[in-house]
Amino acid sequence: MRNSPLSFSVNLKIDKSQNNSSQFDYWILFSIIFLCSFGLAMIYSSSNSLEMTIRQGAYFFLGLIGMLLLAFSNFRKMEVFYLHSFWPALFLLIIVLFFPSENSKTSRWIDLGLFTFQPSELMRFILPISAASFLTKNLKTKMKDMWLVIFVTLICFYLVAIQPDLGTSIIILLAGLLPVVISGFPWIYIFFGGFLATLSLPLIWMSLYDYQKQRILTLFNPEADIYGAGWNIVQSKIAVGSGGLFGKGFLNGSQSQLNFIPESHSDFIFSVIAEEFGLLGTSILFLIYGILIYRLLMVSFYSSNKFAKIVSGTLSIILLAYISINISMVIGLLPVVGMPLPFLSQGGTALVVNLLTIGIILSLRKEV
Amino acid sequence: MSIFDNKKDSNETYRIIIFLSPFLILLFLAFLQILNLSYFNSDKFKTQSESNRLYQSKIIPQRGFIFDSKNTLLVENNIQQDLEINPSFIENPRIFLKQIADLLELNLNKIESDFYIRATGKSPNEPYILIKDLNEKQIAKLSVNLKKIKGAEIISSFSRNVIHKEVMAPVIGYVGNISREDIFYNPELSQFKSLKIGKTGVEKDFDSILRGNMGYRIQERDSNGKLIRNISLEPPIKGKDLQLSIDLDLQKKLFSDFNGRKGALVAIEPKTGLIRALISSPTYDPNLLNTINDYEEVKSLFADKDSPLFNRALSGQYPPASTLKPFVGMAALEAETISWEKQIIDSGEYYVEGDERPYKGWKEGGHGNVDMKKAIVESSDVYFYSLAYDLTINNLSPFLEKFGYGKQSGLTENEAKGILPSRKWKLGYIGEAWFKGDTINMGIGQGYITATPIQIALAYAALANKGEIVKPRIIEKVGNDSTEKVSKLNISLSDNKNWKRIEEALLGVVEASNGTANNIYDRNIRIAGKTGTAQVKSIGETEYKFLREDESLRDHALFVGYGPVEDPKLVVVAIIENGESGSAVAAPLVRKAINLYSKNEK
Repeated sequence: MRNSPLSFSVNLKIDKSQNNSSQFDYWILFSIIFLCSFGLAMIYSSSNSLEMTIRQGAYFFLGLIGMLLLAFSNFRKMEVFYLHSFWPALFLLIIVLFFPSENSKTSRWIDLGLFTFQPSELMRFILPISAASFLTKNLKTKMKDMWLVIFVTLICFYLVAIQPDLGTSIIILLAGLLPVVISGFPWIYIFFGGFLATLSLPLIWMSLYDYQKQRILTLFNPEADIYGAGWNIVQSKIAVGSGGLFGKGFLNGSQSQLNFIPESHSDFIFSVIAEEFGLLGTSILFLIYGILIYRLLMVSFYSSNKFAKIVSGTLSIILLAYISINISMVIGLLPVVGMPLPFLSQGGTALVVNLLTIGIILSLRKEV
Repeated sequence: MSIFDNKKDSNETYRIIIFLSPFLILLFLAFLQILNLSYFNSDKFKTQSESNRLYQSKIIPQRGFIFDSKNTLLVENNIQQDLEINPSFIENPRIFLKQIADLLELNLNKIESDFYIRATGKSPNEPYILIKDLNEKQIAKLSVNLKKIKGAEIISSFSRNVIHKEVMAPVIGYVGNISREDIFYNPELSQFKSLKIGKTGVEKDFDSILRGNMGYRIQERDSNGKLIRNISLEPPIKGKDLQLSIDLDLQKKLFSDFNGRKGALVAIEPKTGLIRALISSPTYDPNLLNTINDYEEVKSLFADKDSPLFNRALSGQYPPASTLKPFVGMAALEAETISWEKQIIDSGEYYVEGDERPYKGWKEGGHGNVDMKKAIVESSDVYFYSLAYDLTINNLSPFLEKFGYGKQSGLTENEAKGILPSRKWKLGYIGEAWFKGDTINMGIGQGYITATPIQIALAYAALANKGEIVKPRIIEKVGNDSTEKVSKLNISLSDNKNWKRIEEALLGVVEASNGTANNIYDRNIRIAGKTGTAQVKSIGETEYKFLREDESLRDHALFVGYGPVEDPKLVVVAIIENGESGSAVAAPLVRKAINLYSKNEK
């Protein structure tokens, strides 16, 4: 493949030592620790709740341990376990529809007494791994298996969409379909599928809840309804814009401190960062995310193992999807869907799952 | 070495990059948007974020007080506590309203309907009062629990309290919210939203004086609407007080004599034009309207067929009937179509040449030979039919106009003009030519001519003043400044002795044994006056007895007089609708008014 058309552009020489050793990737570790600690500070700033911050800190600690355990595990031995862990995840996804936590309007959480957790978050982590494992069980991936994965993915998508949780259901779709398309699903079918999806847009539109439709409509003209559906976007844009170059300072963002930003500690935490640290802060954030994603992708690019390639590739893309969609919706480029900012937004399940994701990729890295 | 030549099969890498790229592009666009927001448009958003925290709210000024001529307080402001809500801070209206209803022990349905009615047509960030005049228990409960309820706040406001409710209602009027129509006529009101303005009476006519100036307060609030701190304050300025010319004591005593009957009374000082009493009956409780929550509560007031809200003293248009006769006589004297001495035979009926139809006098058989004085004293109809016929409308109307008939009195802009008919008027309004019969009817104050009680009072004030027409006033002082008398016109007659002679005739009405108001004769305080019986409907004699049974068709009783004649202190006109006889029901009111007032003055 020396004359591959892309070869000139991707000159990503990772130092040789990495290639022949299983040395730990400290770039990844440090960027994770930075992001999570920064997230804790911002959660405190936006919620003013020490309790919430400590709780999130506890999840961080738990997740970090989980991450390190996974990172040093042997994924080959775990593969069978990953393959079959799909079933309990699916089971939980069904259970949550019947026994949702009573503290919420939607059926997203399962209440385990001490804490609640989101089966959909677990699924978007398990699904790509078990799918990749299933698809790579034979040397050459069979079409039949691909169709099966697509079918299962659509079921999971449906189960999450009716919770309702539009944001995570989109991620589930990515989580299940990316392994299929990466492992060599014919382009003709991909284009045809994309074509079908475009045609069915009106159908999807009709199946949306009113508030979801409203959010999409609001995107095009948030100022039309400042105090109604447009409130989130307008307030969040004001926060980002008023931060200016250097921000208003930690704990000094008037938009967030006076609670003008809705969900400022979870989905809209980016606008708090932008308000309090300005363009400088967001640029640094982009840089750290950039380093993280780059290092994660390298694992995939340099991996010789198809399973490892698919899993790390899919998980990296999902992480990037979370980051780009969350930031885009906060600044009014995309409709508001429930999608947290990885490592920063408040939310225990998401944080732990994201850390486990990193753990998996780190364990695959040893196979480079 | 590149990632593609590194491995045997790099098809996956290729695909990963392809499916990665949309999100990379999205992230790039997001970065551009952030640059746009926080670098290129930063100033705009900084301003918006400032105004986001800062709320400017208005502070309603206290309306001026109103006193009577003896400085008795007539209208005050009660301080009340209201529940104000700000819809933009309410997350779930159903839960919010339920909380409020439970807390205040109020009917949820009522509150909900109020909420939705008021929410329509308002911008959602405009606070408004949901529940008025909270009681002490409610305030106590609210102040403990309000912290938990977003978007609600207790604020104090003033409610207008007219102390002598029904007695003063027609004078004072009531206040209400600013309507779209109000803003149309007076655009500057648009900045006073949430303020109440006068809708009728003195409250309306002197609204700009009573209103005061708005205060402003800038507060910092969080998105839950909770107050963080006050940033600046410009206190409101209370409106100026008014002192009315009304004598509360006189007004009260006269009002009680109306006893709910329909009618009106106006008492004016002829020399100054100050109104000492102004009664319109039936009346209403203005405080009901001052504190009104919704129209339903007072619907019955507006629908009442006796129209209690209608100010009969200023806008009731009645035929002046026989009270017009002195002016008809004076007009004929001016035109020299009659003299004081000339006698006319009154046989009870008057015929125009070439017309079979009789014009009937009120007294069967007539008054015999009558001259001007006797015609006024006994109120001969036939004499004035004849006078008017000879005088013609072209001479009569302009003369009456000098005395204020057909024109607003100048007290307020919201009074009726009455009708002073003329050839031109009839052609324009009725679309018919003027007939001689119309002039004949007008000779006794019937037919097309109508006048308001205040017009009649002013015309007689001119008689009492021997020609001077003064502008009526109801305000003696604005703040500390006294209002001044305005003389509108001085009517001069070709023979100024005629003023005296007319007065003698009017004295005869009360003092002569054959006078129509002999029943109110009192030699201590001499009154000159004239009775009147305004026909509600012209009817033949045979039908008359039958129709009298229906009260609404009975004639209106009028009396207008002034006294003491030597130095007239008060002109009083009294009209009792369907009261039949002016001398029996209206004249005693006038007598009482003049007696009370003269004694007070001494």
